[in-house]
Amino acid sequence: MTDSDQQGSERVDVDRQTEQGPANTELTGSQRRAERRTAIALAVTVLAGIGLFVVYFSGGQTQVEGVLFAVALGGLGVALGIWANHLLDAREVVEERHELSSGAAGREAFGDALTEEVGPVLGRRSMLLKLLAGAGGALGLALLLPVLSLGPAPGDTLKVTPWRRGSRVVDEEGEPVALDQVPEDGFLTVFPEGHEGASDAQTLLIHVRPGSLKLPPEKMAGVPEGTHVAYSKICTHAGCPVGLYRAESQSLICPCHQSQFDVSDGAKPFFGPAARPLPQLPLGVDSDGILVAQGDFPEPVGPAFWDMNRGR
Amino acid sequence: MSTVTERSFKYLDERLGTASLARTALRKVFPDHWSFLLGEIALFSLVVLIFTGVFLTFFYTPSVQEVVYDGPYEPLRGAHVTAAYDSVMRISFEVRAGLLMRQTHHWAALVFVAAIVIHLCRVFFTGAFRRPREVNWLVGVLLLFLALGEGFTGYSLPDDLLSGIGLRIFYAVTLAIPVVGTWVTYLLFGGEFPAPDIISRLFVFHVMLLPALLLALVGVHLAILVLQKHTQFAGHGRTERNVVGKRLWPEQTFKSLSLLLFTTAVLALLGGLAQINPVWQYGPFEPFNVTSPAQPDWYIGFLDGALRLGPPWDLTLFGFTISEVFWPAVLFPGIAFGILTLWPWIERRFTKDRAEHHILDRPRDTPVRTGIGAAGLMVFFIMFLEGGNDIFGVLLNVSVETITRILQWGLVIAPIVTFLATYWICKGLSRSRLRPAQINAGVRLSRTADGGYETVSLEPASSDGEREPTPTGPPH
Repeated sequence: MTDSDQQGSERVDVDRQTEQGPANTELTGSQRRAERRTAIALAVTVLAGIGLFVVYFSGGQTQVEGVLFAVALGGLGVALGIWANHLLDAREVVEERHELSSGAAGREAFGDALTEEVGPVLGRRSMLLKLLAGAGGALGLALLLPVLSLGPAPGDTLKVTPWRRGSRVVDEEGEPVALDQVPEDGFLTVFPEGHEGASDAQTLLIHVRPGSLKLPPEKMAGVPEGTHVAYSKICTHAGCPVGLYRAESQSLICPCHQSQFDVSDGAKPFFGPAARPLPQLPLGVDSDGILVAQGDFPEPVGPAFWDMNRGR
Repeated sequence: MSTVTERSFKYLDERLGTASLARTALRKVFPDHWSFLLGEIALFSLVVLIFTGVFLTFFYTPSVQEVVYDGPYEPLRGAHVTAAYDSVMRISFEVRAGLLMRQTHHWAALVFVAAIVIHLCRVFFTGAFRRPREVNWLVGVLLLFLALGEGFTGYSLPDDLLSGIGLRIFYAVTLAIPVVGTWVTYLLFGGEFPAPDIISRLFVFHVMLLPALLLALVGVHLAILVLQKHTQFAGHGRTERNVVGKRLWPEQTFKSLSLLLFTTAVLALLGGLAQINPVWQYGPFEPFNVTSPAQPDWYIGFLDGALRLGPPWDLTLFGFTISEVFWPAVLFPGIAFGILTLWPWIERRFTKDRAEHHILDRPRDTPVRTGIGAAGLMVFFIMFLEGGNDIFGVLLNVSVETITRILQWGLVIAPIVTFLATYWICKGLSRSRLRPAQINAGVRLSRTADGGYETVSLEPASSDGEREPTPTGPPH
């Protein structure tokens, strides 16, 4: 059969093949080699499969399991690949494309089928149709209502934290933090007592060198001894904990997107994508020498949101 | 055929007409080209994902209930962790073959998205999205989005420190949506971060909603492919009205099965040997802890990089705030994926080409499209690089600031340079006579009226196939 014969109609091609009877069963030299390689590959799969049994029942071992699985699968893959390339009689054939479009007549026939038996009400724009649409809409909206149960109304929750006037400053274990407990150039993650680990209350208490803060007087009033300054630990950019502090440059660095904040200058961002300073928590000291908050943060903590500057 | 199979085959055929259906299927012709296998690799990764994923589901607990870890991993014994984290630890250390399944699942997810992206590039650069395949382009783009969603939700399920940070950033991104951001975020997360419902919700998305959509759309994607028949590259005997290739049975079946096995073998090898997402090293999620350096899975890298490159510009308009996160993480992906989704229609506006195309373009023959595609890839690549700026900083001993500044400029300049360079290369290649995508078709000798001879090239003169000699019919 020549190449051009195959390009005739499919039916003819099929019938001719049937007449030919079974394909030639004599293998050429290269086919015999391919057959041998296929057999080896299949045998490898069998062996790897047995190996998997052994490994699994002797307790399992991730690496060996992975390798044996890969060998078993790969062996079968190689076998089928060689088979496809050397042991099949597949030829390149031509198939005609058929027009997919139903054509104008076909579309018209569809339109007829659609409208033929719908009766007089659907046929004209009746009041009933409008009502039907209205009913569907109302039902659809009503069915959407349960979506609102998925979350509480945001309200003011994003604008306030558990910090209150007089909240004692504690560490993550709940131990109160006293003045001078954190060494100079050191820092500690602190929470309001009773809210240890609370995400929005996490605050960095930093013991800076005396005289290094450049804050306006009303902000300095929340810095005991002029050295114990506290900023929200939630990055104002995307909300990661600002976990890195460089004491020599007095800068805070967010490890997620590398925003950098100047601790001495009100934690204003000086590099990176953050646009707003970390809000400062006003601190004081109670009669036992324990640090306490003078109130909540003056601004919302964390990433920006639509109504963050309205009606707090 | 044994009598039993013969009988059941007859049984089915008499009731369902399976024999002629199956015959049609077996004889279906698919064009042969290596680049047509990229989509198959995605499909086969999905098969692996389903099998390994079902296995993992049997052991995973989607709950943030606090438990004390008492498994075999010494460094974490006694630690307070969530039930979700605890179950992932159990899969990794106590379930036999559990770690293999978990790691293979994760690797398969990475390969799945990669194969989809490369397949998408193939479809884009060869113009396979043109009429009549715009609908399937749309389905394909939706599949990409679903795959990204599957990847991100699955990545967050172990409730480890690294993925918890990723979730927190995602929370900041949804908060940055103008007007409805806080509502959308609270409905999605169930309240202020870290609301306890989020893990179980991610689980429902990951194992039910998204897979159901994904599988349905994969079905649609393949059904449309079968209905419309595959595209083919230009070559001898190939026209706009035919498909030249090998039949589904036996050649394509053998080759596809072989590819399925190889894909699975590679994924099993990676799952067994290449450690991935070692959640025991990251530790359980605590909202006030952070890992450094922190990189997401590769396909989210561009978004993380975009967030790092983003300008520190927030806006307050009439008292309302637009976050600095909005530009890189809401506006940019919105525009980029919007263009991607609508590309067939955007291109048509400029080319005015409304004809059907079954013969593929070679990228060099459409230098503008190829240039735009390359420039777009460059944008994503630069963002992806910036996503690793802290790692490159350490590796190259350069400050993170320097890398960010360079890449910020790169983001402006590199796409333009890429477009121009690609355009120039395409033009050059197009002028050259290199035609690797084609078989040498030879020439046809024909006798002219005055007794002389002339040669006519059988190479298709252009990709529209109009001027090609028809391959059918008997030889002259």
